[in-house]
Amino acid sequence: MTLLSVENLRVTFDTETGPVQAVRGVSFSLGRERLGIVGESGSGKTMTGRSVLRLIRPPGRIEADAMVFDGQDLMRLPEPQMRALRGRRIAMVMQDPKFSLNPVMKVGAQLTEGLRQRDRMSAKEARTKALAALEAVQIRDPERVMEAWPHELSGGMGQRVMIAMMLIPEPDLLIADEPTSALDVTVQAEVLSILDNLVKTRGMGLIFISHDLRLVSRFCDRVLVMYKGRVVEELAARDLMQARHPYTQGLLNCLPRIGGPRTPLPALDRSAAWAKE
Amino acid sequence: MIEIDNLSVTFQASGRVVRAVENVSLSVAEQESFGLVGESGSGKSTILRAICGLAPISGGSIKIDGKPVTPQTKAFARQVQMVFQDPYASLHPRHTIDSVLSEPLAIHGIKNTDTRIEQALTDVGLPPAFRFRFPHQLSGGQRQRVAIARALMLEPRILLLDEPTSALDASVQAETLNLLTRLRETRGLTFLMVSHDLAVIDHMCDRILVMQHGKAVETLTREALAAAEMTTDYARALFTASADRMLA
Amino acid sequence: MTWNEWLLDPNPKSRAQSRAGQAWLQWLRFRRNHLAMAGLFITLALVLAAIFAPWIAPHDPIAQSLADRLQPPLTPGHLMGTDDFGRDILSRILYGSRITLYIVGLVILTAPVAGLIIGTVAGYFGGWVDAVLMRITDIFLAFPKLILALALVAVLGKGMENAVLAIALTSWPPYARVARAETLTVRNSDYIAAVRLQGAGATRIIWGHVMPMCLPSVIIRVTLDMAGIILTAAGLGFLGLGVQPPDPEWGVMISAGRKFLFEQWWVATMPGLAIFLVSLGFNLMGDGLRDVLDPKGAR
Repeated sequence: MTLLSVENLRVTFDTETGPVQAVRGVSFSLGRERLGIVGESGSGKTMTGRSVLRLIRPPGRIEADAMVFDGQDLMRLPEPQMRALRGRRIAMVMQDPKFSLNPVMKVGAQLTEGLRQRDRMSAKEARTKALAALEAVQIRDPERVMEAWPHELSGGMGQRVMIAMMLIPEPDLLIADEPTSALDVTVQAEVLSILDNLVKTRGMGLIFISHDLRLVSRFCDRVLVMYKGRVVEELAARDLMQARHPYTQGLLNCLPRIGGPRTPLPALDRSAAWAKE
Repeated sequence: MIEIDNLSVTFQASGRVVRAVENVSLSVAEQESFGLVGESGSGKSTILRAICGLAPISGGSIKIDGKPVTPQTKAFARQVQMVFQDPYASLHPRHTIDSVLSEPLAIHGIKNTDTRIEQALTDVGLPPAFRFRFPHQLSGGQRQRVAIARALMLEPRILLLDEPTSALDASVQAETLNLLTRLRETRGLTFLMVSHDLAVIDHMCDRILVMQHGKAVETLTREALAAAEMTTDYARALFTASADRMLA
Repeated sequence: MTWNEWLLDPNPKSRAQSRAGQAWLQWLRFRRNHLAMAGLFITLALVLAAIFAPWIAPHDPIAQSLADRLQPPLTPGHLMGTDDFGRDILSRILYGSRITLYIVGLVILTAPVAGLIIGTVAGYFGGWVDAVLMRITDIFLAFPKLILALALVAVLGKGMENAVLAIALTSWPPYARVARAETLTVRNSDYIAAVRLQGAGATRIIWGHVMPMCLPSVIIRVTLDMAGIILTAAGLGFLGLGVQPPDPEWGVMISAGRKFLFEQWWVATMPGLAIFLVSLGFNLMGDGLRDVLDPKGAR
């Protein structure tokens, strides 16, 4: 079943020096699965993720032949309805929890704010629900975390709070933009298993945006490889090591490996043809 | 060449005392490449900053060539330089590449600025045409090359590398690591490098020190790391978490 | 090669070209903001009026003609009417722009520079240097600006120069505050650490590295304060402590028109409008500059 289908998505920024296309004709569809989008900085992977929520600010603009989420064309939806969709049915987790949590509000207040305002829940109900969400992301001491200020949380804890916050309205689609890049390897594994669990138990769709090929191949079902605003290759995650496109191969080969030889790492020779439409 | 003996660094942050580094000792030989590995908050970067006088030393000593260091003096600057983690934060946003590279020459009264700057740009693989660009007109990898060129302007013998590639894309990381290796070989530099990525450290360093919570856990040679011959649980846990970075 | 190509050349050949290119990009960004352009237009009009006052003013600003006193606006020959001595108000406003510009210019050249130096030095060194400099700043900030200026003029004596001095002495503390705040965020950045590691001294770091980062916020603050400076100058003139009659200063003109406010409203209103318009212009321009100069916005 298709949850989201995007056809010929384009994101253009009008700058002083002329229009710059950040995303050039990206099409994909997503079921209730884990879709990975990988690419280097400037490949347009973040812009693709944000476009789904129409979160591109002027001077950027979004164009697409169609962007259908659960039967609704997001391109034609008026802004108030789009706002109702954001957070409730499509949620987004950003890279750094430091910049996503309000520093002058306690964690508990931030978690319950949406429930109280949007869903008109009583304080008590909202609190129960927030505690449950914190437990769902395996925070051992949810009562204490509710009373904590964002700066008192470690990176891993902050990211888990962010995920909990996004998951409270039980969205159908979660867009995670480098959710683990700011975290240590050992914490990374925990956060990923939480996300994985949510996809499996709730049947949520997940767009996982990352620059880390190895991580994506381990964690996702399907992978889009982006280069300069275009999808150069789409393949099943388990086949990533057998990628055919020279860009994907190059990205894999240029990584150093423990116990590898001391010879210079193979450089990525970029071919102008990859960027052509 | 670098001798660190029982180093402790303590910060006073709003009444609380944070012990960032506790009794860490290490020594780096001439022209060796030494790595510091650990997760965030392990104190690995703090050691580099302490060497440069950017962190308050509360105990122990740091010696270079047997003499206690005198950070932030001109003599020290000609001996030790540092490359920072984030090339977006380590270059002044309103200075051109030209002024970034000519500054150390001006401070030390070194002549032939023009030839030296063009040579420095060529050495790090940047076209001389970039000389009058501003940092925001460069990509992350190009900025880090400028930062490396700046560190080498005074021809130091020791380079402190604080996660020099963790903010870069994989392909750019490979190019930057290759550049650093080449510069070390041609100039006989001594590296003290910090990274959270075991594969990067393994590729660059001869010996590594694993750190956790400000304490030294274990020193490993490159061979011992590849053969998974670690004796402490923490070093092993770190190694296991990096399993996908093993040679397939 | 056209000018545009030369300015936007990604590989400038010299420092000057690179700076010009950046300035050109900033101008392009500024030009998009219509309100800011309106502000710039008003400011330019003020400058032009000041320069060409002798040529565009229809009458001598201090020539009295008691036969024509208190003519209403739109009287033939007196577009904005005349005041109680029969002087043409339009001409007085045009000449008054010279005085306004002179005061504003002198204050700009002194107060922000002093504030910038004091603020960056305090912020960079911290410790007791910071404590001493900032307490002095606090003392100046503790008094309302106009009252302090009044006291200073009372001590120094009446006159335009002393008014300028009084305004400059009362308006530097906010710039010192702004510069210090900016310095505190810049001080611990990696690029400052890098230049310290190269053995640079404090003067070089403050002058070459810290000040360029503080300059935009100070410039923006200055343009936003400009209205306040003009009003303070007008206020001093109004109270008879600044520019002395018969010189056509706008504040003095309002003060003189106060007596006829109900019957001959234009005498006080016209210079009031001029003050309002110029203040608005500087404010709009300051808002536009904030978008262009903000170092956090520039990637």
